[in-house]
Amino acid sequence: MKVILEARDVRYRYPRGREAIKGISFHMRRGEKIALVGPNGAGKSTLLQMFNGMIRPTSGAMLFDNTPIQYDTTSLRQLRKRVGYVLQNPDRQIIAPTVYQDVAFGPANLGYDEQTVRQAVALALRQVGLEGFERRPPHQLSGGEKKRVSIAGVLAMDPDVLVFDEPTSGLDPSGSEDLMELLDELNHDGKTVIISTHDVELAYPWADRAILILDGRILQEDVPDVAFGNSDHIRMAHLSVPTLLELSQELGRRGFTQPERKPRSVLDMIHIIENLLHGSCRNPAPGTISVCNVDEEATSSLSAWVKTRPGLAVGAMGTRAKQRASQEQLTLEFTYGVIDKCILRALRGQDSLILTTGSMVGRVAVRVEAYCRESGNIISVVSMSTAEQPPVTGLMDEEVRQNDHPH
Amino acid sequence: MFEELLDDIAQNSAFRHIHPGTKILLGLGSLIICLVSPAPVVPLISGVILSLVLLIPARISPLVYGELLLAPAIFTAFSIIVLLFLLGGGDVIWRFNPVPWINLSITTGAVEQSILVLCRVFGCSISLFFIALTTPMTDLFNGMKRIGIPVELIDLMMIMYRYIFIAYDQASEIWRAQIMRLGYSRVGESIRSFSMLCGMLFITSWNAGEDFIHAMDCRCYDGIFPALDIAEPVRMRSLIPVVLYLAGLSGILLVMTTRIVIL
Repeated sequence: MKVILEARDVRYRYPRGREAIKGISFHMRRGEKIALVGPNGAGKSTLLQMFNGMIRPTSGAMLFDNTPIQYDTTSLRQLRKRVGYVLQNPDRQIIAPTVYQDVAFGPANLGYDEQTVRQAVALALRQVGLEGFERRPPHQLSGGEKKRVSIAGVLAMDPDVLVFDEPTSGLDPSGSEDLMELLDELNHDGKTVIISTHDVELAYPWADRAILILDGRILQEDVPDVAFGNSDHIRMAHLSVPTLLELSQELGRRGFTQPERKPRSVLDMIHIIENLLHGSCRNPAPGTISVCNVDEEATSSLSAWVKTRPGLAVGAMGTRAKQRASQEQLTLEFTYGVIDKCILRALRGQDSLILTTGSMVGRVAVRVEAYCRESGNIISVVSMSTAEQPPVTGLMDEEVRQNDHPH
Repeated sequence: MFEELLDDIAQNSAFRHIHPGTKILLGLGSLIICLVSPAPVVPLISGVILSLVLLIPARISPLVYGELLLAPAIFTAFSIIVLLFLLGGGDVIWRFNPVPWINLSITTGAVEQSILVLCRVFGCSISLFFIALTTPMTDLFNGMKRIGIPVELIDLMMIMYRYIFIAYDQASEIWRAQIMRLGYSRVGESIRSFSMLCGMLFITSWNAGEDFIHAMDCRCYDGIFPALDIAEPVRMRSLIPVVLYLAGLSGILLVMTTRIVIL
């Protein structure tokens, strides 16, 4: 993949102050998801602000698209159009008295005409799931909604790279998970995403690459299971080893052989445990996963379809799918890590339905196929519209429990 | 935050989706009619009808509405008492001479004038409340732009409007933190705490201002502050009743004026 952002031995000293960045070099490839992890005051925010030219390094060079960043007004404008920066505190980023005006701020200043601005705003609000919020004043919104407005404000400029400073700070756990899912969705749409965080549990399954930062230097830069698996570095950086990784390490220390690829999710862990038990777990015939593209499915059929299948769990991937589910008053069992949770369900012999949109439909099949190839299980993924034949009856929770405990 | 802020009520009112022009026409129209009316009955009718409109179709909570009216009512009550003794003309109804050199009296002329003032205040404040309770500030900004108020001024107003809430939040946070540590328990302490609050507020506002410039730079600020121009079209369904109402009110005004002139 092509390198989009690069830092070459950058250093930064605050005016009359201490050195915040003490020589950092790294690169970011197009389409990557990177987590910048480190304790408070490690220099994460300072480094992030170099990406869109808000801070100019005292020495070293920042490169965007293999060209050194120029710090004149015109070049900076061009850079900031392509590198969107979302501040930690949305109250500090939202500047206009209504949601529409705030989201339109970027496109309007880029000199787009009225029609294009409107389209950009509508698209950005749709992406973050805030359609219909145009006229709301920001002080009436919840923390999560404000965060989404600030993200929409950046998305409206259609940047290639999205930089988030502590995206989940101040959000409740479910809000954080929703936000991470949104970041996934944006990444899937082709954006390169870099976040700074100290939440290792969120960063571990999400990131393609983790960069541990301590005291203005890179401590370690690797795939998350290696970066977070080094307990010395983790201790030095005042972080903690993600639970799943710790569990896997502990199993390894007790003599249970661990696969090369460390578990990134509960599903991976279950797979490892099942292998350790040499298939002695009782697995009923696997259930099916139905996938529904909410953009194509007619409104009336969906809730009716769900009603005819008791014992079916519904999960939604993506903001629009979640909105659709609430419109149809469907109770969502899964809103985060949906595919993995549905695979886990299918392994218990239960059926599930995944609501999603456009390109994400294919992603379900790809993920399930990859899992089946690796684990040797067979789980069928059917598209909901073609699944109109008599429902494949999955086992109800009670039946599974009965099967699990034979008399 | 303010629990029942005027702007929040306006945002949630059932008249939110009526074109702001229609609402301002109704508010300002009745305000002018109430002001010029020489007879108390015109502002009285206007006030009662607009109150009913606010309470029933616009669904403003009667409790909140009553609370809002209380402040001007108290103020007016005091002024009317003064006016009763101050104004003259006509026959004396009541006289009060506690000591020879103080002579307080109420005359028929003073009563008439006071009633007129009372009704005007009632009619006019309700006309203004009508605009405040149905039209959010953000809609008013658009209106201002349309009538040709300089854009720079409106941009400044919008930024100030946005920052009122942030500054208020910060002030109440600091205030709560001080209260929790008994900051206002004694007079001396209160003065010290309050000055500290002001100082802190200045520093945080300064920081917020810097962040604000930062945030604008991040989004390629080039002197443009976009406007929200998705106002609903003027609908006849709401405009016609407004015009009829104003015409009716003017009619009553005309009749009353001619009667007063003839008399």
